[in-house]
Amino acid sequence: MAQARFNCSRRPGLRGGHGFSLIEVVISMGLLTVVSLGVAQLFAASTRSNLIARGQTSTTALAEQKLEQLRSLTWGFDLDGTGLPVSDTTSNLAVHPPTQAGTGLNPSPTDSLDRNIPGFVDFIDAQGEWVGTGSTPPATAAFVRRWSIQPLPSNPNNTLILQVLVTPLSNEQARIVSAQPRTRMAGDALLVSVKTRKSS
Amino acid sequence: MRAAHRLRSESGYSLIELLISAAIMVVVTGAIFSLVNPSQGTAQAQPEVADLQQRMRIGSETLFKELVMTGAGTYQGSVTGSLVNFFAPILPRRVGRAFPNNTGATFEPFAITMMYIPNTYSQTTISSPMPNVSAELKVTDQTNCPQGQNLCGFQEGMSVIIFDTSGHFDVFEITEVQDAAAHLQHRGQDLSHPYNAGASVTQIISYSYYWCSPLPGSTPCPGDATASQLRRYNGAFEDIPVVDHVVGLQFTYFGDPNPPVQPRPPAGQANCLYDAAGNYVGPGALPPTDGSLAELPPAILRDGPMCGANLNEFDADLLRIRKVRVSLRVQAALDRLRGVGPLWRNPGTSAGGERLVPDYNVTFDVTPRNLNLAR
Repeated sequence: MAQARFNCSRRPGLRGGHGFSLIEVVISMGLLTVVSLGVAQLFAASTRSNLIARGQTSTTALAEQKLEQLRSLTWGFDLDGTGLPVSDTTSNLAVHPPTQAGTGLNPSPTDSLDRNIPGFVDFIDAQGEWVGTGSTPPATAAFVRRWSIQPLPSNPNNTLILQVLVTPLSNEQARIVSAQPRTRMAGDALLVSVKTRKSS
Repeated sequence: MRAAHRLRSESGYSLIELLISAAIMVVVTGAIFSLVNPSQGTAQAQPEVADLQQRMRIGSETLFKELVMTGAGTYQGSVTGSLVNFFAPILPRRVGRAFPNNTGATFEPFAITMMYIPNTYSQTTISSPMPNVSAELKVTDQTNCPQGQNLCGFQEGMSVIIFDTSGHFDVFEITEVQDAAAHLQHRGQDLSHPYNAGASVTQIISYSYYWCSPLPGSTPCPGDATASQLRRYNGAFEDIPVVDHVVGLQFTYFGDPNPPVQPRPPAGQANCLYDAAGNYVGPGALPPTDGSLAELPPAILRDGPMCGANLNEFDADLLRIRKVRVSLRVQAALDRLRGVGPLWRNPGTSAGGERLVPDYNVTFDVTPRNLNLAR
């Protein structure tokens, strides 16, 4: 009678089997772990994408800032006097704030976008603050910013081609290792503008 | 026998089996939880990071585009050239009927008013004098005006500026176009100055952008004291948010070290730069402190001499402006994604880990093209 009561108390669904075996549990847990890891990688990918987007927004803003500084330098005509061209040839934009101990809008060396040439490079930290200039970046630098000033071949006295390159330090190190300074890499910002003398 | 067999097969797990399964369960659930917890933080934080960056892009792009155009002047008719030859197209404060106390002595580091002439046919002069109190405007039908219209293409709702060569200007809105009667009605705002026939009248884009917030260094937003926004005010009744969750906005001005020489008033009249005899009485030269430019601190931009009049009064040094530095800072919208410390202007309640989204601060310079035409 006791055995009969025991059988009656069992649920019908269990009668055909005896629950999960240890192997089944281990396999299902393994599957769950693999799936979870796949989903976790999506989160990591979204974080990485946001970081890249932030980096590109920052490099573009930094490039734009230098381009606007270059555009603010005098490049016009002496309208109150002789009417001759007037050019800024003394500003040094490689230091912050800019000084009068530089070369202004005089043409830069042709490879000033490819290597660190004093007067045409500065270094920025991760917060976008200027941290130095020179041929080697300080320890706190996160970005290298270089610029080039070249006369337009068809109108060299009055029109300049201004270019600014901002590159993360990690890109710069990869470029040094590969010995290919002109390689453009993801995360770089390169802006180009033209400045022409106008009389009014 | 069958019952005995069933009992043997259902005798439960051995101690070894139990220990192994418990250990595996602990390891696996531990691994899952170690993934799930940061994943929840990431799932909350990363959409907000993307939103924060997008708000920064919108804010900086909006200000950049407006600043680049600022100063663009008339290009048709007898009077042409950058607006800076007539008045200061950048004012370091909010301007309009909502701010009757803002005059030339007001400097708001979190606000800027910018003016420029858009691509428009509606560029002409007034054909009869306009007294200070006037609701009517008669304009000259110049050759550049659209044919078949007496009123040079001016339309209802259009923002219009009137300015002369003495440094005065007024912005108002057209409320009615009476083409047959050849006059325009405007909202009846009193002008800051009576204008003679021949003063320029043209369509204008004029907005004040400002940061409003309960945080120090700003001013509460109209109608919502808890909001932190970048807003755009049109000088009359339109005041709209551009970007939410802005926790910092500052404008710094850089200008020509040489003193301004325009606007030059007609003979016998005086303004902030010249006396009635035509002698220069404006501000002197400044030492360059930013390359070939000079930083213009707030004190210089509100100490006079003053051009214009009433709400449109402005310091003569504003005519020097050649470059504007904008520093914009936005924050995560949710308190629980902000922490405490120098990375957050407005502290939050984040527990840390993946749930920390620092403020985003970008500083950029803008050289308004139309304020640097001859430089």
